Amino acid sequence: MIRLGVNEIEGRIKDEANAECDKIVSEAEAKASELISEAREEIEDRKKDFIVAEEARGLEEKERMVRAARLNARKLKWNAEEEMTKKALEETMKRIKKVKEEGFKGVSYSDIMAGLIKDASISLIAGGGTDNELEAVICEEDVSYIDKSILKKVSTELSHDITVPVKLSLSRERIKSAGGVIVRGKEGKIEVNNTFEQRMTRYSASIREDIMKTLFTEK
Amino acid sequence: MAVEALRFIREREEAGQKQIEAAKERAVEIARAAEEEVKGRKEAARVDEKNVSFEVADKYAKEGGEEEKELMKNAEAEAEKLRSIAESNIENTASIVLEKILGLG
Repeated sequence: MIRLGVNEIEGRIKDEANAECDKIVSEAEAKASELISEAREEIEDRKKDFIVAEEARGLEEKERMVRAARLNARKLKWNAEEEMTKKALEETMKRIKKVKEEGFKGVSYSDIMAGLIKDASISLIAGGGTDNELEAVICEEDVSYIDKSILKKVSTELSHDITVPVKLSLSRERIKSAGGVIVRGKEGKIEVNNTFEQRMTRYSASIREDIMKTLFTEK
Repeated sequence: MAVEALRFIREREEAGQKQIEAAKERAVEIARAAEEEVKGRKEAARVDEKNVSFEVADKYAKEGGEEEKELMKNAEAEAEKLRSIAESNIENTASIVLEKILGLG
């Protein structure tokens, strides 16, 4: 009778212990499974965010590369334009020698010089600050193109155009220049520089505009 | 007989307690294994991120490089064309500039 009771108690103890063990292990397994599942989700979310961020960074880098390339491409074209503009200006200066020998569009170099002297004289007199006795300063190479008769002719034209008597003479001083003239008052305080180099600088903006219009226009 | 029964029951209870202790240890092992797995997964994800980072950067660098190449190729062709047009217009341009500096324009 006692033996039977003991067996029952033993069975219950075993059952309870087994149940407790099962509970402990299954709770641990569930917790572990939840931990792994949460980590997996977190990793997936992080991966998605990471890919989005990396894509944005990659795209930004690509755009930076393209922007730099566009700038370099523009520089390449600017350089070609600058190179050819410089070449056109060099060609212009080279042709001055020929202009001195043959004239330009039917106008002799002497007449061109006369025109430059006249323009400079008008500017000087119109600006005031000088008397009407002026002198022209030229380079050694141009001496043969200017004589007294030309200066007299310009003086007469000026006197007629601005109704003020003007006396023009050629200075003994020589300038270093490709051509053109500096006209100044006898006292030498004020001058108008009409040398080709100076005119090239003075009109550089409109010359550049003309060059861009003509040089790079396809016929 | 009763004493023997009591001793037997106590022994069974102790065995049950041992069994429960073993289950608790097993639970600790399960938790540790789970933590290790999470750690491993996170480490693998970090390695994966490095690969993704490299692949994405490489993809865009290649695309950027191709566009860059194309842009420069076109610009070079355009620059060459500008030079060619300018060469054929240089005489005419020099005449226009001359007109201006000679005071005839």
